[in-house]
Amino acid sequence: MRLSSVQIFQQGISGILEQQAKLQQTEQQLATGRRIQTPSDDPAAAAQILDITEDLGLMDQYQRNANLAEGQLAQEETVLADVGNLLQRVRELVVQANNATQSPETRQSIAVEVEARLDELLSLANSRNADGEYIFAGFQASAQPFSRQGGVYSYGGDDGQRMLQVGRSTQVAVQDSGYDVFVAVPAGNGVFTVDAGAGNAGTAVAGSTSVVGAFVPDTYTVTFSQLTPADPVTYQVTDGSAVVVASGNYSAGDTIEFGGASVRFDGAPADGDSFTINPAPRQDMFTTLQNIVGVLENSGSAPEQVAALNNALGQSLEELDQAIGQVLDIRADVGVRMSQVETQLDINDSFKLQLQETLSGIQDLDYAEAISELNLQLTALQAAQQAYVKVQGLSLFNYL
Amino acid sequence: MPDILSIGSSALLSLQQAINTTGHNIANVNTDGYSRQRVNFDTLPPQQSGNGYIGSGVEVDSIQRYYNEFLVGDVRSRTSSQSGFETFHTLSSRLDNMLADPNVGLGPVIDSFFGALQDVASNPGSMPERQVLLGEAQVLADRFHYLDTNLRNIGGEINARIESAVSEINGLANNISEINQQIVTATTQAGGQPPNDLLDTRDQLLTELAGKIRVTTVEQSDGAVNVMIGNGQALVVGYTTNQLQTFPDGFDSDQLSIGMAGVGGNITDLSRFLSGGELGAALDFREQVLNPARNELGLLATGISATVNSQHRLGQDLNGQLGGDMFQPLDATVAAHADNSGASSMTAVITDATQLTGYDYRLRYSSGQWTLTNLTTNVSQTGAGPFSVDGLTITPGGAPVEGDSFLVQPTRQGASLFDVVLNRPEDFAAASPLRSQAALGNIGTGDIESITVNDVAGLPLATPVTLTFNPDALGPGVPGFDVVGIAGGPLAYDPATESGGKTFSLGGFEFTASGDFQNGDELTIENNTGGTGDNRNALLLSGLQTEQTLLGGTASYQSVYGGLVADVGVKTRQAEVGAETESALLSQAQAARDSVSGVNLDEEAANLIRFQQAYQAAAQVIAVADQVFQTLLNATRR
Repeated sequence: MRLSSVQIFQQGISGILEQQAKLQQTEQQLATGRRIQTPSDDPAAAAQILDITEDLGLMDQYQRNANLAEGQLAQEETVLADVGNLLQRVRELVVQANNATQSPETRQSIAVEVEARLDELLSLANSRNADGEYIFAGFQASAQPFSRQGGVYSYGGDDGQRMLQVGRSTQVAVQDSGYDVFVAVPAGNGVFTVDAGAGNAGTAVAGSTSVVGAFVPDTYTVTFSQLTPADPVTYQVTDGSAVVVASGNYSAGDTIEFGGASVRFDGAPADGDSFTINPAPRQDMFTTLQNIVGVLENSGSAPEQVAALNNALGQSLEELDQAIGQVLDIRADVGVRMSQVETQLDINDSFKLQLQETLSGIQDLDYAEAISELNLQLTALQAAQQAYVKVQGLSLFNYL
Repeated sequence: MPDILSIGSSALLSLQQAINTTGHNIANVNTDGYSRQRVNFDTLPPQQSGNGYIGSGVEVDSIQRYYNEFLVGDVRSRTSSQSGFETFHTLSSRLDNMLADPNVGLGPVIDSFFGALQDVASNPGSMPERQVLLGEAQVLADRFHYLDTNLRNIGGEINARIESAVSEINGLANNISEINQQIVTATTQAGGQPPNDLLDTRDQLLTELAGKIRVTTVEQSDGAVNVMIGNGQALVVGYTTNQLQTFPDGFDSDQLSIGMAGVGGNITDLSRFLSGGELGAALDFREQVLNPARNELGLLATGISATVNSQHRLGQDLNGQLGGDMFQPLDATVAAHADNSGASSMTAVITDATQLTGYDYRLRYSSGQWTLTNLTTNVSQTGAGPFSVDGLTITPGGAPVEGDSFLVQPTRQGASLFDVVLNRPEDFAAASPLRSQAALGNIGTGDIESITVNDVAGLPLATPVTLTFNPDALGPGVPGFDVVGIAGGPLAYDPATESGGKTFSLGGFEFTASGDFQNGDELTIENNTGGTGDNRNALLLSGLQTEQTLLGGTASYQSVYGGLVADVGVKTRQAEVGAETESALLSQAQAARDSVSGVNLDEEAANLIRFQQAYQAAAQVIAVADQVFQTLLNATRR
């Protein structure tokens, strides 16, 4: 093919320019360490990079949330441990007060300690976090949740539970409401309560209780009768509609069963003494402790007074056990959540690592490849320049 | 009898012309568009003698350029394509660089906004976090404005490019019509000999014109050339030109259109017919990249504003009030065509931002009804309206006249109008307006697991809603809840089979009850008064970041933006590849044309030697004639 002189020149120059442009791009890749400089270099990868960068940001955010959740759960855990210890101490005191060796005076002094524990419990329930929020107030975190008004305790918070997002599809609760922890404690043994009649004259004491099969919720009354001291003691259990559900002879230490409830009675009831069995409502811990204080402060030494004391403290012990159990349950739950957060931190970390690897695979430069490319391009540029100089030197006019 | 002297001198004269032409070729080696020329020699008419015809020398028949009109035409058409792709790529790569730059792109600020939202969720009662959230929302709005301003600036630059391309095209058209005239005159004067250099100049002007806009040419018998653009509009006819004009678009006065004045001064809009060259590329870029990018960005702005607002309005702020709008609510823009009668009107309302597509729609009134056309897919529907399409409701009004038209741009202005309207940090609705509570005296363990507010009508509740479990709520033996405080009860719930959780809907909210209930157990749903520690709504809001809410529930915010970046990236890549390919094709076409028409200095040097030698030989002929004459004189002198 015939070539024009301008074309020969142009070809040489454009060869050099092209090599320079390629060299510049490789140089830029090497300088930034990134294979993709603009989205048009690889549009699909550019969109992917945006997605991955967002996910990486989210992972950082989740890690931040998870660390926060860990701190909050740890604080709750500490407070719950204190509450558990406190209840345990009160339980010891009640057991001690229930002992026959105690006098009304010594019980008074025990009452003083229980009262102090009660104050302590109140302040634990009103604990705040580093931001000044009440941790057991549910959603109403800025108002003090528990207050006392003349021996009556009220909860001003709600049943709310704050969640934090710690993973893409994982939310974890970082608090428990005061309602769940301190207020909603089932009374009695958790299923039913046993209350001694106010006018009981005998020494009958309701002892250990248990549920046999399923408790049929109703109000049962156990009435003991003994017409003359020579007669055997009999009992009769009626349900809420005054239907007799159980009856028989009683001797101390007998266990009476009815409607799924089983109650052991000790001592000698007087004629007409009664006990009422109700399905367990919920009772807050403060009332439980307040009741103990009341019982201890008003104890007497007459046999029927001792029996009333034993009945009341027996009930209190069951309620304390319920409270201790409840606190333990919630602590266990908090522990589970803490380990869940831990696991999530690990998952997030490894997912983040994986994302970074993917991102690096997409956008990072293979240096070995780029450097060998650079060398090749340098050689090509040199060759193009030398070829240009040689070719341009050729002209027939040189020989004219 | 032929004269040896005149034969010699005819050769000298002809060869001088040949040497001159070679010199002309050498002189124009670097002239763009120059075609090398050659001298065509011809023998002079022979003279008759008794014993045959005797040659009488040489003459120059013509001076001709080496020229192949197909190769030149190919260069011209490749020039249109190449400069078109080049211009497209230049414009497009600016957008490309801007969108993915982490410092100016939208991706990082969306992330920061939702990061701040998560921080509020972690600590809903705290002011500093809320303040940061408002700051990040403002940064998001600013970034939308920044990007949109840049896109509009590119739009302004395109207008400037159109203006300058049109004025250059008009100038070139004038030059071509003048040269046409000169060529015709020169050809006539020279008795049909071609005015080579003028022809080259005209070819060069045509190639320059082709760089601005794709042209077709038709050569006339008198040597003039007619130039057509678009789909046959004449730009140059013989010695006259039709000038292109720019004028504001009928729908959008910020955009320039291109037209040509027809008979009677009416301007015909040619914009959609023009292609190739700088002008065609600028128009294509505006249609294919710039406007869709603004629509897409606006779609994202409208989508964020609508989805965040609707969730935010379902929440409760720090003062216990229901949430308001967080961002400015955005709506579609409607433009009436400048030529409308003025008696018709059109309203377009975004009814569901999650169904928006980013497309524009045109309405045209004809034969008594409106035709709604999607300008991207070209799907149309006809009727009296109102029309419901892609999350929009478009309602025609007034008294339309035949030919009235409107343009509906649902999201074009979205990014520029995006703004934060929530000013006070305490107004951010992190909480949910309702909460539930199981009564203390409940015997059963059942409770309400979650409450979801779907509609705030009827909130705050006038009285708390109380649900009381009753084994015979819906008739003997059919258990459920008696409801007090709101219409809709009783609700069937059987603890024996549904203790795993059952969801109910009352008023504007839903809740899930689960667990075991006993007769008389009470659940209360009440206003979340004082719920400063509640973060439920903030969690739902932050969940929007990864939820696929837009484009009919198929795309998250980030993927809409990613789609925009990829779209622009793909178009830029195409333009880049196209520009490279067309450059190569243009070089090939240029090489093909040069292989015929280009000057090669070595060849000219050889020609120079050839003609010089012939010239020397011709001079020898003169010398021989002289000697022959001297011989004769000497023979006869006495």
